[in-house]
Amino acid sequence: MSKKNKIYWFEGVTEKGVKSLLTDENSKYRWLRSQRNRRILVVLMALGTALVAAGSYWPTLKTNLDLSDGTSVVIYSVTAIFAIFAVLLGYLFLRISVRGIADAPDELLDERQIKIRDTSFRYAYYGFGYIVLVLLLLMNIGPEVKLFQPEGNDGSYLIISMMFLCAALPSMILAWRERDI
Amino acid sequence: MLFLMSRNPEEPVYNRIEEARVALGLSRQDLADKAGVHYQTIGYLEREEYSPSLVLALRIAKSLNKEVSELFSLTPLKKGK
Repeated sequence: MSKKNKIYWFEGVTEKGVKSLLTDENSKYRWLRSQRNRRILVVLMALGTALVAAGSYWPTLKTNLDLSDGTSVVIYSVTAIFAIFAVLLGYLFLRISVRGIADAPDELLDERQIKIRDTSFRYAYYGFGYIVLVLLLLMNIGPEVKLFQPEGNDGSYLIISMMFLCAALPSMILAWRERDI
Repeated sequence: MLFLMSRNPEEPVYNRIEEARVALGLSRQDLADKAGVHYQTIGYLEREEYSPSLVLALRIAKSLNKEVSELFSLTPLKKGK
């Protein structure tokens, strides 16, 4: 076996990284292999991503809650750091829980794993497509119904949450559907 | 929701992999190494939760010194026969 750690640029993984996940070297994360725990992780990831997206509505929320400037800065900063950190950590655990199969190239997987990965990507494509479609519809009707793009709000958190979702959705779907692995 | 759909809607393939493996004194990891798959895939096959390709069925049969027809069937197999 080659000692060189091959980098799969397209998939964004390394050979050693995937092989490490595929073995039981990470035995301390065995608790992540049960379907129940993985589903809890998926729900937490979804909530974390929604929390990051909610950052785009902070000015509206701040006004509605009638918070002082000092209090709002503290709440905003703590929540933003916690949410982004939680989502990044959640993604790491998610990849460990599904052994990185969703991100792995063909040559490191067997036929069953390739099939699961491909199915997960197909569902993720549908799911992400629906989410983007809904967002685009909201953007389109937003000015009229004031659901989206209210004055002074920052849309970048919504974009960041979409980036998280784009990267994590195949693993989230795989983690949700698979039995104990 | 899409991700609540059936996991394996295809026609099941019944098998005697576990019986043949145990008879040879092999662990799942041993058989997985011989057949060139992950050990969990052997578990999925033994629980009949995954239907193998013809290539994998042939590799498993070869690893267990059996014919494909002895190991796999489209109808439920009587164990120990």
